[in-house]
Amino acid sequence: MQEEVRSDKSGYMLMNKPGYPRVSSWPNLVWIILLMMLFLTVLLWGVSFLAYAPLEEMAEWAKTPNPAKAPWYFIGLQELLVYFDPWIAGVMLPQQILIGLMLIPYVDITPTEQGNYDFRRRRFAVAYFTFGILFWFALIVVGQLLRGPSWQVYWPIIDYDLGGNTWTREGVPLKEGGAELKSFPLGVGLALLIGFSTIGMVLPLIVTRMFPKSEKVKELDKYLKELGYIRYFIVQSHVLMMVGTLGKIVLRLGFNVKYIIETPWFKI
Amino acid sequence: MEHNQQKQSPLKKTLDFIFALITNNPIYKSIFRVGYPNTLLKRMAVMRSSFYMHIFPTKVGEHGLKLRYSWCMGGITFFLFLLLTLTGILLMFYYVPEEHRAFQDMKDLRFMVPFGVILRNMHRWAAHGMVLAVMLHMMRVFYTGSYKAPRQMNWVVGVFLLLLTLLLSFTGYLLPWDQLGFWAVTVGTNMASATPLMGYEGPFHELLGVQIDNDIRFAIIGGTRIGANALVRAYVWHCVGLPLIATLLMVLHFWRIRKDGFSGPL
Ligand code: HEM
Repeated sequence: MQEEVRSDKSGYMLMNKPGYPRVSSWPNLVWIILLMMLFLTVLLWGVSFLAYAPLEEMAEWAKTPNPAKAPWYFIGLQELLVYFDPWIAGVMLPQQILIGLMLIPYVDITPTEQGNYDFRRRRFAVAYFTFGILFWFALIVVGQLLRGPSWQVYWPIIDYDLGGNTWTREGVPLKEGGAELKSFPLGVGLALLIGFSTIGMVLPLIVTRMFPKSEKVKELDKYLKELGYIRYFIVQSHVLMMVGTLGKIVLRLGFNVKYIIETPWFKI
Repeated sequence: MEHNQQKQSPLKKTLDFIFALITNNPIYKSIFRVGYPNTLLKRMAVMRSSFYMHIFPTKVGEHGLKLRYSWCMGGITFFLFLLLTLTGILLMFYYVPEEHRAFQDMKDLRFMVPFGVILRNMHRWAAHGMVLAVMLHMMRVFYTGSYKAPRQMNWVVGVFLLLLTLLLSFTGYLLPWDQLGFWAVTVGTNMASATPLMGYEGPFHELLGVQIDNDIRFAIIGGTRIGANALVRAYVWHCVGLPLIATLLMVLHFWRIRKDGFSGPL
């Protein structure tokens, strides 16, 4: 009986199970909260005695530090500036991240029991979200710890000689080799981008046509039918955006590609 | 309750007597309504009759109490917000958002104001902690699937709270008026100038006749570069605007949690 409820309602909760054990909030919940508050206060006090909040010299417009870094929670976006123009790294991507996050509850139809760390029925959702989170924090780590003057890669432990723009050290590959960055010709770039989006969009269609016999694929087919076109489009466009962002990083680091599409008005 | 049936030790008897003395008198009862909460009924009444406690349900599922379920992260985020409000108000006593004074006030906090260092340190580290906690809270909500019906809207409210937390931290970064904050905020706000159509460096900005002195970045920082106007704006947003909006959204957030029930459940 329970299993049935569980499998066809997306909002099934532990809470609704009959006979679910409950206890009075006072004092069971209240004392956890009290202890947590005391613990946090003491911890924060301790930290504040030991570690001082940074205060550098007084702000001066004429003295630009190199590098000038954003606060750590935004540094992932600043790191993306290496690979994208600011209108993408600083505006479109964060906007899409926020919109995507807000849409999660409306596009996720996988049935699960809420109130449980149970990933079996939502492998894709969990994988996608986890990948996004890891991506976000990886960019933060690189930007915060590995980037030095002129936003070049500097390894944290190595002691670099100081001096102007020649902050290089023999045997340590600091700069991107001074290799010349190239952009694709417009036609190639457009073809690449349109090809990527189209193939990405119809990928499930291809898969379901190619292996119509497989059980897994039948399941996928059923799931996609349930999902419907609109939700599918929203999910897949965000998946492609993330894959594309990663792809551009690979193109840039591995193949010295500056832009995929370069027009006088905008560059991608 | 089960402890009534156990044999009572002398210590327990003494404690009970003291508690009874404190709680069974007209003054205490006029404030807290319910006497010493030693029965289930009274314990539930304590939660229901107190303005501050009735934010919590009278009974919770055992499951929701486990730290490994909620990591306590929503609560920690909220408590850090309260601590930040408290330390923030105290900091406001000593700080004037004026181009030539702000930095000196920071120095004063460090060297002159009694406990000023601790005050500023606490505010700073709690702010970093809150950003981290809110991210972890979002991850916990995601991994437990707690954004699903009927909690979809509360997740959206949460995303706004995430954004507000980041903005609160970001606006605060400029206030010490030191090189660190000044340039971080310069870098951050420069991104706005790349907004398509509305930023003076963004694609298609010519279509709307957007220039450096009328684009969206100009509207945000009140000038063509970070200066006195940007400082006052950061200050007002940081100390008044954003906390007000965040408080309203938190009230809504908590209200929804109570109405929908806690997924854990709480
Ligand atoms: C200032 C920021 C926030 C505060 C103070 C806050 C506070 C809380 C608290 C105290 C709870 C109760 C359960 C718990 O402690 O885990 C909670 C639950 C919840 N939060 Fe937040 N939260 C914030 C931001 C967010 C964000 C960023 C999201 C998601 C994007 C979110 C989504 C939710 C949802 C859906 C619940 C219900 C969870 C359930 O029933 O299991 N909140 N929040």
